[in-house]
Amino acid sequence: MMKKTPVFDYLLCVSCGICVQTCPASALGMQKEGKSGKYRNLFPELVTDGCIGCGQCAGACPMEAIRMEERHEG
Amino acid sequence: MTSFMGKILRVDLSSGTSEEVAVPAEVYEAVLSGKGLEAWYLYNNIPAGADPLGPDNILAFAAGALCGTGAFLTGRWSVACKSPLTGGWGDANCGGLFAPAIKQCGYDAIFISGIAKEPVYLFCDGKKAELRSAAAYWGLDATEAEKALHADLDGVCRKKPCVACIGPAGEKLSQISGICNEGGRIAARSGVGAVMGSKKLKAVVLAGTKPMPCNDPDTVKALSRDLGRKLLKMTLPSGLGVFIGAGGRMMGHLPSMPLDGSLTAYMFREWGTQANTSLAIPSGDGPIKNWGGTPKDVRLMDAVYNPEKINKIEMAKYHCYSCPLGCGGRLNIRGKKYVSFDATHKPEYETLEAFGPLLMNWSLDSIYQLNEMLNRAGMDAISAGNTVAWAIECYEKGILNLRQTDGLSLRWGNTEAILSLVEKMIAREGFGDALADGVKRASEKFGGKEYAMHIGGQEPGMHDARNDPQLGVHFVAEPAPGKHTVGMSLEYGAMSLCDICSWAPPARLHAKSKDLEDSEDMALITKANACYTMLTDGAGGCYYGQMMGVHMWKLVEYLNAAEGWNYDGDHYMEIGERIQTLRQMFNVKQGVDPASFKLPKRMLGEPPLPAGPLKGVTLAQHRAQVSSHWRAFGWDDKTGVPLEETIRRLGIDKLTEVEA
Repeated sequence: MMKKTPVFDYLLCVSCGICVQTCPASALGMQKEGKSGKYRNLFPELVTDGCIGCGQCAGACPMEAIRMEERHEG
Repeated sequence: MTSFMGKILRVDLSSGTSEEVAVPAEVYEAVLSGKGLEAWYLYNNIPAGADPLGPDNILAFAAGALCGTGAFLTGRWSVACKSPLTGGWGDANCGGLFAPAIKQCGYDAIFISGIAKEPVYLFCDGKKAELRSAAAYWGLDATEAEKALHADLDGVCRKKPCVACIGPAGEKLSQISGICNEGGRIAARSGVGAVMGSKKLKAVVLAGTKPMPCNDPDTVKALSRDLGRKLLKMTLPSGLGVFIGAGGRMMGHLPSMPLDGSLTAYMFREWGTQANTSLAIPSGDGPIKNWGGTPKDVRLMDAVYNPEKINKIEMAKYHCYSCPLGCGGRLNIRGKKYVSFDATHKPEYETLEAFGPLLMNWSLDSIYQLNEMLNRAGMDAISAGNTVAWAIECYEKGILNLRQTDGLSLRWGNTEAILSLVEKMIAREGFGDALADGVKRASEKFGGKEYAMHIGGQEPGMHDARNDPQLGVHFVAEPAPGKHTVGMSLEYGAMSLCDICSWAPPARLHAKSKDLEDSEDMALITKANACYTMLTDGAGGCYYGQMMGVHMWKLVEYLNAAEGWNYDGDHYMEIGERIQTLRQMFNVKQGVDPASFKLPKRMLGEPPLPAGPLKGVTLAQHRAQVSSHWRAFGWDDKTGVPLEETIRRLGIDKLTEVEA
């Protein structure tokens, strides 16, 4: 079964968290540790398997840092 | 379409009922949302003479107009009520995730009146609003309560709930308590936590998933993208923090000048607000020894509060909702001296200053502990620091003795005694009980009123009016006095308000002494700064967005795109003027005399400081400046009461007839 899920471009992401709060399924969290340039930062990632593939996160992201990609599931 | 949800939730804790109420569009047009909507509703609905801790007081939680639109730096949530500290308008705001959570439940604001019989929390998921027993959470600190609520509601809600709650300080009605979210981040000022505690309301828990509207999301996102791309490139080389103290020494002798707003971005991305501590100690901006000391009293203390030390133990930065800047961070403090916690939020400048140089405390480690204690208790660090400073000075001067202080030797810089006293204040135990209601009430009980630093009952933020006379005007002319986030010279220099507002004077290079004079320019500067701050608060914006200047954080363009309006800056500044005038009218309605808000003599420079960058400075024209500020607002220049013609010009007479 194919399902669309968000893929993040962390070079563009500014960690604003808009995608996390927009997600109606609470499937995203600011939990991925990484770096924004030299700064240690937290980035969004899928934290549950509850993503419903709605794409609201990608639509809300001002930085155009999220794209929805199809992947196999189950 | 606009960005407003168009509705508020009204809750009566006494009857246990709630209702949704539609808000007419003309109200949003006039005052936006956030603090503006709160000002309109509270002015209309809190009866004159209401007891701040009684059932007639209304506690408001509001999101700003731009929250949820894609606009950056618009995630502040605002709390407002009648303040138990001042008896007049009270408000505080905070970042985190709570602002969008209000809108995702379908509301722009929640207004809560009455008093519950037993401790409750308000649960709302956009479909229902319920009052539930908080028996299991009452007594927990704010961080524990939030965790427990998350655990108990895990799997029950479709969305992970956002929690705003009080800690023990609010439960015990400490009048310097605030309301917390996100593990102890606190809307601290005006005693809003005591009002929540008086209502026996432990928490507001929001788990809605409604979409947040916006007229033109593509334009809003493009504005944000432009800002975000700039910020991603703004990075300072590591290690520069060691030079900040030297910069502060130089700054104390520099003239006032226009600044580039990008400085804010660089500093706050690199360090957060804590960078200001080393700058403020030698420059004259930061108060020392209960506002009576000079940098000579704490020579080289700026090195103790070197921001690089704090950066070294930062585990990761965090951002408020919709913020690309990220001035916050979590620190690993395990094993530090005096510390019993594993982690804490990066202390803000205000906390570092209030428990560092203000108390002559040389232990940075102790401030990590105090920071976490106060955040969990839900107690305002600014007010607590000012109150401890008063107690130390009174003890040093023999006004307080060991018997009164429960055996605490309250000497300047006695770190152990400071920690013990704050513990007692949080627990309202012994001597700490009297101090838990702030410095005004403590000094009324014990004496030493001349050392009690407050304005109308509210302890001032950690910036000295002798260094910045403009700030002195805001400290007393602001309807919620003592706030450091309404305006200041440094901020005005960075904002370029003259580029969006026809009557706002440009910031010019000038000698600092010129700011001591009463002039039409100064009155227009203080008015413009206050109006823009109110506009920002109506939009739910962040003070640091403001400080980046209008060419980086484009508030006017954001609002026009989000609301589908086509107004110029002057129109928006008038919205700010309207909000500020409504708040002043609230004070007048509640019997607060605006002229009674006065700077403490010490802050007026009476007597002047003997050394340092503020040597000899006296704010001789301060009262004249306040009068000119009131006049510029169209308020009576002797009493501060808004004139009838001003109320009509701003349409407030009609606005206050609109009911909700």
